Amino acid sequence: MSASLEKGVRVLKEVIDAPIASYFNSCVHCGLCAEACLFYTETGDPKYTPIHKLEPLRRLYEQEYTLVGRLAKLVGLSKPVTDDELEEWKELVYNSCTLCGRCSVVCPVGNDIVYMVRKFREGMSASGHAPEGIIGAVNRTVTIGSPMGVKLPAVKAQMKHVEEDYGLPIPLDAEGAEYMVMLSSMEIINFPEYLAAIAKIMHQAGKTWTLCSTAFEATNAGMQIGNSDLARVLVTRIVDGAEKLKVKTVISPECGHAYTALRWEGANLIGRPFTFKVQHIIEVLGEFQEQGLLKTEGFETDRLTFHDPCQLARRGGVIKQQRNLMNMVAKNFVEMPDAGFMNWCCGGGGGASAIEEGEELRLEAFKKKKSQLDTVKPDRLVTACANCRIVLEEGLEHYQMDIPVVGLTEMIAEHIPDQTTEKGA
Amino acid sequence: MAISNDKEFKTALAGLSTSQQRQVAASFVQRVFALSGDIRIKAALDAAARADVSDAELTVLSGAANTARVESFTQCGKETDWSAQAGHFVAKAAVACVKAAEAGSNLAWDAAMHARMARTCQTVADGAGTENVEAGEQYRLLEAFLNS
Repeated sequence: MSASLEKGVRVLKEVIDAPIASYFNSCVHCGLCAEACLFYTETGDPKYTPIHKLEPLRRLYEQEYTLVGRLAKLVGLSKPVTDDELEEWKELVYNSCTLCGRCSVVCPVGNDIVYMVRKFREGMSASGHAPEGIIGAVNRTVTIGSPMGVKLPAVKAQMKHVEEDYGLPIPLDAEGAEYMVMLSSMEIINFPEYLAAIAKIMHQAGKTWTLCSTAFEATNAGMQIGNSDLARVLVTRIVDGAEKLKVKTVISPECGHAYTALRWEGANLIGRPFTFKVQHIIEVLGEFQEQGLLKTEGFETDRLTFHDPCQLARRGGVIKQQRNLMNMVAKNFVEMPDAGFMNWCCGGGGGASAIEEGEELRLEAFKKKKSQLDTVKPDRLVTACANCRIVLEEGLEHYQMDIPVVGLTEMIAEHIPDQTTEKGA
Repeated sequence: MAISNDKEFKTALAGLSTSQQRQVAASFVQRVFALSGDIRIKAALDAAARADVSDAELTVLSGAANTARVESFTQCGKETDWSAQAGHFVAKAAVACVKAAEAGSNLAWDAAMHARMARTCQTVADGAGTENVEAGEQYRLLEAFLNS
């Protein structure tokens, strides 16, 4: 057994906790999880059945923690987990699982398959069987501090761009601000208009806010590869920044896994409660709307639909707010089939979009989104996750569907009257 | 007419016809085209600069420019190449130049903003601080266009 496999198997044994043991014992092999997974429904290949993706972990559990499994291993009826097997399973655990959670919510016995996949990824990562694309992101996170190599000067350049071109101040390290705004790498790199939208919305709402020079980025590569230690380091960075600046609320950006990492996993990762609240930007906008702090004018009149990011809607329970916001600025908002809690993933979450060799499968799985869109035939598609946005754009381009994709926060901001501050005004 | 700030700039652009907006927007994007070099972008800009461009041409060129834009996104988890990212914003600016006209849209303003962002990306790639002269140069181009 190689040293890396030995380490991986040790990690896998360690991650098998009471929930995982009970999940494996509870599985009734009904196959419902298969029908909930877009990688299965769009390919018809049974290897993409979610519970099957955990087969090496299940076998290891039986061999280590059940009498029958131990006996079977002893007499050679149950084969040990090997490097070759884990390498083969890489595609199933990473490329064809976006941690979207659809399988978990349809399981009749309540098995949280996503929880198990994430635990399995810990062992895969430790044994050197994570995909190159995600390993690269993790290495950059460790060496540079950002999975996509974004450094503070790049953020400052974008801040300057927004300040100069949109005439709105972007506070940095403002102690005592009510809100600390996080960005995803994707927003810093591809969508500078998100920062401009935040500035405009906060200005209208009369709220104080700030970016943090030591914790501007919310992306958590540790979550994606399955490395709790790294995930903890990244959450700690944000906690330290928020506590140093004494903010009341940290706003997670339009990024699904950033929200899950900070809002739902963060306090457990660092082992203590936060001293501040964590909200997704859509939750904040929903609050502003309820409190009358968000005043828009005019309506979009073309046919719009909304793609629910899995981590926001299904894993995070934020469903109503985005619809209220859509109706605030859209006259012709239509829902796709299965919208909301049971929405289908874009196909690129959970680090899958960073895996180059997974592109073909990703585009195959996108047929599910295509069929949803074909049903309602929207003029434009709105979403609230920068990663979804790019994955959707690629899928739409591949299938020659002329449907522009826009971010909800930016669309709301476009309907806020220009009460300020353009450069020189 | 002298333009000295973005409020005047945006107002002046909004007062132009769609065809005029395309022409002046193309001149903004031409200034940063070297950051891309994509022939699909060049074709879009050449067409947008012509007063007699047809809707059919715009449809075809808009599709090609949009493909260049989508292809040049930096994907989640990939290492950022700021020079390539400058090219992405050039593509985004070019799409604004040839996109279908919508009521109330200020496509030239959108193109100007994306062109400035392309230059910002270049300054990040060069590590040369954050100086960005595009705004002033765009004012001059618009003044020249309005005075022509």
